[in-house]
Amino acid sequence: MEEVVGKIWDKWITSQVTTDHVDTKVHFSELQSQLLIYYRAMGGDGAKSIEMAEKRELNIHRSTMQKIAGSHKQFYVSWQDERSLRLPPYIALFTDKNLNQSLYFWLTALAAQLDKQRRSAQLNTHDTNNHDANNSGSVLNQNDWFNDNQQATCHLITEYAGLRRLYSTLAHEVLRLRSIEIDASLKKQPTSSLSHHLFKGDFFNKDNDLEQAEKAIATVLKIPGVINQYPPCSKDVLPVPLWLYPPIDVQGQGANFDPMDEKNNQKNSKRKPGELQEIEQRKKAQYADDNRKTDGLLVFQAEALMTWTEQINLDRCQSDEDDDADVTQIAKDLDIISLSRHRKANAARIRFDLDLPAAAQDDLRLGDGILLPEWDYKQQRLVDNACVLQTMISDDVEPMALSSEYQKLSQDILALFAHIGLTPNRRKAQPSGDEIDLDAWIDNFALPVKDSSKQAFYIDTQHQNRDVNCLILADLSLSTEAYIDDKQRVIDVIRDSLMVFSEALTRLGDDFALYGFSSVRSQHVRFHIFKNFDMPHSDHVRGRIARIEPGYYTRMGAAIRQSSQLLSQRGGANKVLLIITDGKPNDLDQYEGRYGIEDTRQAIVEAKLLGLVPYCVTIDKKGHDYLPYLFGSNGFAIVSNASELPRVLPKIYLHLTAVH
Amino acid sequence: MTLDTRIETATEAMTKKANSCYYQVQDNEVDIFNFAMAHNLPILIKGPTGCGKTRFVEYMAQELERELVTVSCHDDLTAADLLGRHLVSSDGTFWQDGPLTRAVRNGGICYLDEIIEARKDTTVVLHSLSDHRRELYLERTGEVIKAHKDFMLVVSYNPGYQNMMKGLKPSTRQRFVAMSFDYPTPENEADILVHEAGISLELAKTLVKLGADIRRLSDIDLKAAVSTRLLIYAAKMMSSGCHAQMACLHCIIEPLTDETETNKALSTLVNAHF
Repeated sequence: MEEVVGKIWDKWITSQVTTDHVDTKVHFSELQSQLLIYYRAMGGDGAKSIEMAEKRELNIHRSTMQKIAGSHKQFYVSWQDERSLRLPPYIALFTDKNLNQSLYFWLTALAAQLDKQRRSAQLNTHDTNNHDANNSGSVLNQNDWFNDNQQATCHLITEYAGLRRLYSTLAHEVLRLRSIEIDASLKKQPTSSLSHHLFKGDFFNKDNDLEQAEKAIATVLKIPGVINQYPPCSKDVLPVPLWLYPPIDVQGQGANFDPMDEKNNQKNSKRKPGELQEIEQRKKAQYADDNRKTDGLLVFQAEALMTWTEQINLDRCQSDEDDDADVTQIAKDLDIISLSRHRKANAARIRFDLDLPAAAQDDLRLGDGILLPEWDYKQQRLVDNACVLQTMISDDVEPMALSSEYQKLSQDILALFAHIGLTPNRRKAQPSGDEIDLDAWIDNFALPVKDSSKQAFYIDTQHQNRDVNCLILADLSLSTEAYIDDKQRVIDVIRDSLMVFSEALTRLGDDFALYGFSSVRSQHVRFHIFKNFDMPHSDHVRGRIARIEPGYYTRMGAAIRQSSQLLSQRGGANKVLLIITDGKPNDLDQYEGRYGIEDTRQAIVEAKLLGLVPYCVTIDKKGHDYLPYLFGSNGFAIVSNASELPRVLPKIYLHLTAVH
Repeated sequence: MTLDTRIETATEAMTKKANSCYYQVQDNEVDIFNFAMAHNLPILIKGPTGCGKTRFVEYMAQELERELVTVSCHDDLTAADLLGRHLVSSDGTFWQDGPLTRAVRNGGICYLDEIIEARKDTTVVLHSLSDHRRELYLERTGEVIKAHKDFMLVVSYNPGYQNMMKGLKPSTRQRFVAMSFDYPTPENEADILVHEAGISLELAKTLVKLGADIRRLSDIDLKAAVSTRLLIYAAKMMSSGCHAQMACLHCIIEPLTDETETNKALSTLVNAHF
């Protein structure tokens, strides 16, 4: 009974304070892909993605009703940082659905404009102080927030007539809603309460500040750019839905911190924010100071012990397929996750061992490794000798003939290839050709009236001269260990694809090489040879393909650079670099996130400059978020049904190299 | 007459003449064309689709008062289509010159548009024509034709097309004086829109800004950038009373993309501008 009453009460009290219009709610997920394109078109950084924002705590003045309901503490506000733009998961502010939708686009346009402003500011300060420039995007005080938003708004409404109209509608509506809200929370305070009388002076004073701030906001929403000083105020103003908020403040953000460098762990107090891949709405990440280790004698106060929900020694470096549902659930429920740097603490949960296999069990290393550069997007330059690529080959493979199941699959694909004609194609009745087509001549001769424009008496023999070199680079990172269905893992599909595809290429007569890659930080990029261009396709090659196993991470840039080098040394006119992958570039160090994306992009740009055609085939359904930026709109294909990869891959290749 | 004076007279004559073919000069392309012409050097023009390559060649032909033979190259274009072929008539067979052979014999500018689209064996026939020999060899008849003194070869292609099987051989490329074209500067592009479509400068500027925004998406979300030609189409439709949103949808967005989401995002972008 108590529970039922509680539920009814909760429902009622929430309905009393909620201002959302459920009927006209617009969800972020419906618009995500459009917003991303819009963001880029408006001049936003092409490497950024758009994600859902999480709730943020704002210390606003709440009405009694809101206090009773326990609502209006946290709000979905929009913000952006170096990696992405965060927008509310839904907008239900207005009674008009179109207006709610337009607000998404307004925020995106504003974010793009703010991004442009930030970049030009960085460019200006770059010469004087590089370090400050790097941080200027993240450290924003309230006054900057107040002014930057105004400046961006001013720019948009002067440059874009349509946005000017939209803004005036949005601003008018927002101001109307704000005045209702302010009336409710500021003016209708219960005056008889004891506390109010006791702290009257203080309260009024604070309210006065807040009123000034609210007035300032209202004025600049109406006429952006008229006030450039934000009145100091101890509380937060009501959330401004038309503006972007500063990035979530993380202590000491911005320093380059290598999470693998355990020695530095003890000294370095500056850290960069972490993230959890699994949880869609990124959680506010805060590194707890767990560097102090106890020295045996444990002195503690029981009541000060942190509960599991307050501090989890969650290892951000671990695989993102943690199957412990509880941890995931807890993580979703938490607002702030304290990330521990100490991998040991949760060692039992880590699904794989980061230590590399013993030399005896590992593939044979060829040479000492190759030093390769990497692109540092912050410095906008290639950093020489940034990573070491180790070429490896399986030296003790069993030669393997093509198994019957692969033979069946290969037959199907070869049938497809035969269709495009590997034998010379004789076309009759051509206007030009190598032989005379007597039939056509006689036909024409027999006609009483001859049409001189239709004189096609030749047989044209077309030789298929493909002249294609193809290097296939397969991603063998640990993420390929994931299961796509009950039977198959991603790596199995990749193995089958390589097996079948290499048969097809042999039949087609194209020169090809097969490589695979994975990485453990910059010092160990593993580059496996299955077949180089000079090796004939043989049972040994099949044996090596059959042995591929997933492991480690995806330092894609280095592997692409090395492959480009190998491919560019080949003669011939057409060189395809075919990359088969299952996700974004990532590694344990700074390669995760934007650095990895930018480095990979740069490696692809370099490949194109070498005259190669890089093409990516992925099974990552979210590939649309980042692949256009890496490979261009016609530089990739997403195979939505992963198990179809072995069949689809040859088709994609044929399409790519189709002879006209 | 020295080379310099010849070029000067040509350029002068050009500026004085009333133009029937409108072309907005972007940079020094007219000078380069004149210099190359003075030495009978072949020209290669690179540039994205609809940026004014063909218009430029037409303009130069008109200014120089030369006959212009334009061949739009395509997948099935064979060497015979350019050189000519034997045809059969009631009197027996006879040789029919192709467009290239005609220009080589009689003088004139032969313009091979989008040469990258033609088969590779086709471009090889240009080799002897585009170096110091300036002669065309007709295999079928065994004839060697010395190029007319007024003959000039101009080819163009769009380097943005990423079909790997298509591309000019380095040996072909290295026979040309090459120029890169790009979309006009915003000021020039607005002028072109005003001139071509007769819209107001203010409207032209808005269209150009829209174009610049959409061009940010090329190679990421769009396969090709919005061309000046498409902007002119939109401007023309607007000048005859078509609503801005409708004109932009049908002249700019629909030709650029088949993706529904991209289409919607671009429509919202158009709404932001108008």
